[in-house]
Amino acid sequence: MVDLAIDKHVRYFRYALNMLPSLMTQLDATRMTLGHLCLVGLAALGQLDTAISADERKGIVEWIYAQQVQPTGDNAAYCGFRGGSLFGPHGACKYAASNMANVAATYSALAALVLLGDDLSRVNRRAIIGALRHVQLPSGTFAPHPGTTESDPRFIYCACAISTLLGDWSGVDRDRATAYIAGCVGIDGGLSQVPLQESHGGHLYCCVASLQLMGRLDALPSRARTLHWALMRAGRGYQGRANKPSDVCYSFWVGASVEILGGHAMVDADALAAFTLECESPYGGVAKCPGATPDPLHSALGIVGLGFFHPELPRISPALLLPEAVVERVCKGRQ
Amino acid sequence: MSSVSSEESSNIVEPYALPLSKQDEWKDVTPLEQEDGQFPICPIAYTDKYKEMMDYMRAAMAAGEVSERAYRLTSDVLKKNPGHYTVWVYRKKLIEELHLDIEDELAWLESIAEMYPKNYQSWHHREVIVCMLLDPQILADMPQDQRVCHSVIRRELSFLANVIDEDSKNFHAWSYRQWLVRRYGIWEQEKVFINTMIDQDVRNNSAWNQRYFVLVQGDTSGNASIDDGVLQAEIDYAVEVIKRAPNNESPWSYIVGMLLRHAPEKLYKELLSRIQQLSNDASYGQAAKSSPFYWSALVDIYESRAAKEDSDAREKTLDLARSACTALATDHDPTRMKYWEYRQTTLV
Repeated sequence: MVDLAIDKHVRYFRYALNMLPSLMTQLDATRMTLGHLCLVGLAALGQLDTAISADERKGIVEWIYAQQVQPTGDNAAYCGFRGGSLFGPHGACKYAASNMANVAATYSALAALVLLGDDLSRVNRRAIIGALRHVQLPSGTFAPHPGTTESDPRFIYCACAISTLLGDWSGVDRDRATAYIAGCVGIDGGLSQVPLQESHGGHLYCCVASLQLMGRLDALPSRARTLHWALMRAGRGYQGRANKPSDVCYSFWVGASVEILGGHAMVDADALAAFTLECESPYGGVAKCPGATPDPLHSALGIVGLGFFHPELPRISPALLLPEAVVERVCKGRQ
Repeated sequence: MSSVSSEESSNIVEPYALPLSKQDEWKDVTPLEQEDGQFPICPIAYTDKYKEMMDYMRAAMAAGEVSERAYRLTSDVLKKNPGHYTVWVYRKKLIEELHLDIEDELAWLESIAEMYPKNYQSWHHREVIVCMLLDPQILADMPQDQRVCHSVIRRELSFLANVIDEDSKNFHAWSYRQWLVRRYGIWEQEKVFINTMIDQDVRNNSAWNQRYFVLVQGDTSGNASIDDGVLQAEIDYAVEVIKRAPNNESPWSYIVGMLLRHAPEKLYKELLSRIQQLSNDASYGQAAKSSPFYWSALVDIYESRAAKEDSDAREKTLDLARSACTALATDHDPTRMKYWEYRQTTLV
């Protein structure tokens, strides 16, 4: 049994779901992701059902659906879910691009909905899948939304997770996405956001998990070298890049990649647990490193990464960041 | 996700300004309040100022207003929240449709980069602006040493030098640097820059990665041909840097990975003897032999050699690789004991 301060973390996630301080204003357009991560954290502690009342659950589901951008004729590329409530539920915008979803928020919205037991019946599947086609680039990678040069494996991953949760891959050209990822493998076996950039634990996860969801792990030129790179990040916790300090979020980004690549038994779980406990805040939540301020991302990912080695905590799917029980419920009957 | 620490300090230095509702310029606009519903998730305790700004921003964006006042308002909003992806797209539309002076845009972006050096959107916006300012065709016929003298390139390189000076491993800055070097074909100055960066900090893995980027001149096929002399020089360079700090993953990983991809036979024909010399050297030998990266390199080198040998020789070479794994598991890398034990079983 790991000695995690479960009650304090439950309070932390509940607190974050209910109010964030003004110094987090720069996350205003990513509230969907923050909420999603709070729910993931509660689920990873096995406390989601008890921590959130039925009324709260209903309220959260309504808020999420209020962020859905529905087709209005000229906005096919902008459909999906928004990261925050920049506009109201009906998004009365003369200028269509002002009311814009993005792929990361759409992924978080769907994941949060299934975590809360919603059946996705109010999700406009066709609009979401249609919008994905607008943001996959000729190189195979994805942009988060139209009108930006930003594009990298974070959004390939979101597109793959969306396709998995909706059981519809017709919005993703898997051959091109796979080719793009294969091009991101560095000489060190790690993965980067753009071919020839520095290998990075976050992009490693997005690439490896995408391949897993697409059933294309064999596209890695050498799974052994990629696993080697991932395991070399381990010290007490995991670092995100060579010669960088450990950071708790990589307990998930790198740790889940190691799970997918078959390295579970090779991890020093005691060292990881010791590091995670050092990063726990006395007031609840987990910080990136000892002594830093906790936030929902590091809290949720630190707990999930630790949980891979603690069977008393719910088993989380490394490729989908959802409890296996939820994945089974959502994907049952599909192949 | 970016860090949140710089936000508070930016409140302090902000000059006093009238609320928008008191400014003549905005009096024809009805602010559009946020509709966050009954059960908002992760609501943020907005400051009054941010809330007001957003209400006017919303009104302008909903109407698709194209005006300089809307453009100025995006500057203020993005300074408070550079993660507002929709506002960035709107800002770009305003710049294009109003034909605004984009030289000023770079100075403004520098102030954003100072506050939020890890915000993705501002770096990508910078790419867009630089594309508008300088068509690579203009430099196409110039030698590289003249290209770097072009005012736009000079400005970008000096901006990047500052950001990298602040945080020598800023992922966004290095990524942007690759984009710039490739787009404008300025490879020669990059060689000098990388050597300087590695010399300053031999553990800067971002700089080592950039070294490979320059070595293959941005070729992403994975089979760029590299001259023998250049390969030799890279081996010499890596070994010299390893001498300075043998327990440093970056040069080991660079030289082994690069040779594995481009000239695997050089691993055992050249690199092996060089690192054996190193391990027998009176000054560096002890340090090298206690570095896990030395032993890990031996595993890779022997594994590559064994793949090219016939059965007798092959078995002897694999034995060497297996004993390197044992050395790692028991003495030099106990954190990964189970990995090295597993790796040993794959050497057949």
